[in-house]
Amino acid sequence: MRRTRPAVAAIALALVLTACSSGTPQAGAEAGQPVSGGSLTWAVETEPITFNPHQYAQAKARLLVWNTFEALLTHDGQGGYLPWLSTGHEVSADGKTYTFTLRTDVTFSDGTKFDAGAVKANIDQFSVEGYNPAVLAVQLRNLDRVEVVDPATVTFHLRQPDVLLLDFLSSPQGAQVSPKSLKEAKNLKAGGPDLAGTGPFVLDHYTAGQEVVFTRNPAYNWAPANAGHTGPAYLDRITYRFLKESSVRVGALTSGQVQVVEGVPATDEALITANPQLSLSRGLNSGSAYAYYFNTAHAPFDDLRVRQAFREAVDVDAVLSGVYRGTATRAWSVIGPTSPFYDKTLEKTYGGDAAEANRLLDEAGWTARDADGFRTRDGKRLTVRLVQSAPFVRDRRDVLAQAVQAQVKQSASIDLNVAVVDQGTATQALADGQYEVFDNSRADTDAGAALNLLLHSGGAINRTGFTDPALDKLLEAGQAGPDQARRQAAYQQVQRLVVTDQALVLPLYAPADQVAAGTGVGGLGFEPTAGVPGSAYNLWLSK
Amino acid sequence: MTLALPRPVARRLSLRRPRPGLAAAGLVLLLALAAVIWPALFAGDPLAADPLRVLEAPSAQHWFGTDQLGRDVFDRVVHGARHSLSIGVAATVIAVGAGILLGLIAGLAHRVADEALSRGFDALAAFPLVLLALLFIAIAGTGTTSLVVAIGIATTPHYARVVRAQTLVVRQAAYVTHAVAFGGSRVRLVLRHVLPNVLGPIPVLAMIGLGEAVLIAAGLSFLGLGPQPPSPEWGAMLSEGRGYLHIAWWASVLPGAAVTATVISLTVIGRHLQNRFEGRPA
Repeated sequence: MRRTRPAVAAIALALVLTACSSGTPQAGAEAGQPVSGGSLTWAVETEPITFNPHQYAQAKARLLVWNTFEALLTHDGQGGYLPWLSTGHEVSADGKTYTFTLRTDVTFSDGTKFDAGAVKANIDQFSVEGYNPAVLAVQLRNLDRVEVVDPATVTFHLRQPDVLLLDFLSSPQGAQVSPKSLKEAKNLKAGGPDLAGTGPFVLDHYTAGQEVVFTRNPAYNWAPANAGHTGPAYLDRITYRFLKESSVRVGALTSGQVQVVEGVPATDEALITANPQLSLSRGLNSGSAYAYYFNTAHAPFDDLRVRQAFREAVDVDAVLSGVYRGTATRAWSVIGPTSPFYDKTLEKTYGGDAAEANRLLDEAGWTARDADGFRTRDGKRLTVRLVQSAPFVRDRRDVLAQAVQAQVKQSASIDLNVAVVDQGTATQALADGQYEVFDNSRADTDAGAALNLLLHSGGAINRTGFTDPALDKLLEAGQAGPDQARRQAAYQQVQRLVVTDQALVLPLYAPADQVAAGTGVGGLGFEPTAGVPGSAYNLWLSK
Repeated sequence: MTLALPRPVARRLSLRRPRPGLAAAGLVLLLALAAVIWPALFAGDPLAADPLRVLEAPSAQHWFGTDQLGRDVFDRVVHGARHSLSIGVAATVIAVGAGILLGLIAGLAHRVADEALSRGFDALAAFPLVLLALLFIAIAGTGTTSLVVAIGIATTPHYARVVRAQTLVVRQAAYVTHAVAFGGSRVRLVLRHVLPNVLGPIPVLAMIGLGEAVLIAAGLSFLGLGPQPPSPEWGAMLSEGRGYLHIAWWASVLPGAAVTATVISLTVIGRHLQNRFEGRPA
């Protein structure tokens, strides 16, 4: 099988060359066969804060993770799972024991063999104090222990039934890192070239602030069934350049310095679509919507009326059409509209009523105005602070914040203070409670994971300060599964409670990825279920 | 700076001829000054956003078009004058004040103190201006106040060196040695006899320095280190508009033009005053 590959590639190449030389309409990458070889440069918006998949936190970095690392399972795009590094799994009748059989032909790029011991080493790593408390608190909350039955069989024992285990084992955090790297890596949490995985590429080098380069793993031969092809990746080499500025990214593409860009802003879409040499594709992300969460721990958002007023003060449709020129999909709930748990009945139930906002604020006692025209109560201005962490600002969320800022000021005299700061400052502000608005979207493939983190009283990023035993119970019921209808019912109640009854959140838009590429690039696609750009495994360049 | 022109050239230049450049510079500065003092006279609310009218091209209604939030760019440029120019003026006031004080001390004090201060000026001056300001802002945090102080500190040596050199000349002057001979308090001596005579070149230097300060302020605001959004500051406007350069040049080019026109005008007038002061008709 392996020996025939160069021949296949040669035939493919010949076919493409013939197609080109004969000048038929099918010429070019779209109609051609994949070609092996070449190196491609892709400009990305966000620089990853870590190359350790267990520490993964940025949806925009997901496309990098799967180049070097792989998980036991992968999503099939229909809400189910396909085996990846495993060959199958069984769940016990009580839902508390998951047994996986593993592939036996897989090796990490450092030569270590992948087996049940490696899986156990990866999961056990999470119990190291401070390694990743967020995952420990949600996805692995109910995990009791991992048992190595034999080198090709591993069993997960749970204390309670928990369907999020499968989602975890198909997520970047559940990706498999060589046990040798886990022990020997110089800086494990930051990751880097000394962290070996099993993926189709190997991290060659990383230059902070500039680029990260991956080279092909020639031994790779264990792609999942839905990967599109088998064997090693087509590209010899792929470089991701970090270009934070959207205009610079688009300029780099139109001038041919890079072949693919992601994070194409809505305002630049016309430039791409007007150019016959370029193509644009778009995928809606899974998980939670991009939303503003209100901090109920102190004034003014400890008052339900003020939360409702803030929400009524923003005309989300107008803001989105201004900032994203009508290309953004409005969100109505904490859960994104592509999720099976999304509650459609919440649509058009609130928002955009300035008169109602003013009535609510008057009722809540914010009646006086100061010299700048903002509302005050007892001499204190109605100021709320939004602290944005720069590495997580994408899709012009800083501009969106300014648009919301202008809206709440004009329609309800609320002073929204927006600051874009470095991650350390943002973490500090959140830890000290020095904020009233928290913005977030999560691209979890199972929205339940996002809800647990954001809304459960013990959630690692529960920034609302809102706790309610009934809400916790619903979230736990949703996590226990396995019956999809029961999960759906539980999450519907969660959404009602959080969006309608408590007005804890102002959902804004459903995050999407926009990718533009030159027509010489083939194999571009979005990851099933997650909806983010896929890894470089399928990419190829026409000669 | 004091290179004398050959006589015939100087004479030719001295002919009274209209100077459109100078007149234009004066007009720009007058407009800028008016915008600083009473922006509401010319322009509406710089923060009024209209999400349904974003990035509209210049028209009769919006002379400079609208920005990414549907705010009128002209209104913002006019109101921005107050931010940008007052940062420049405040920073220059700090620099001139500190420069005169330190320069006097260096010029009058004991040799050791003079050496220490002078090397301090050299070190400060050798540091790139923007880098120094960045360093200060990194320590003190962003915001208008630290921006002003940062630029003030960074441009202090500029003035301190001139004052020191002048002081060294003046302290040898006959009227000073006579005053010393007559006795009297040292403070009075410095304030009455030394200070007035070292200040001569300072207003001209400050005028030119002001242009530089405005430019640095805009540069640092461009990097997000100055007044925070939604404040209409020229540098910040340039920065916000640059993402839309492909489709809406007016949102960044026009604030940029305001910075350029102001700084050039300040420099033209500063140079003119300098030449007058140094007795060269230019």
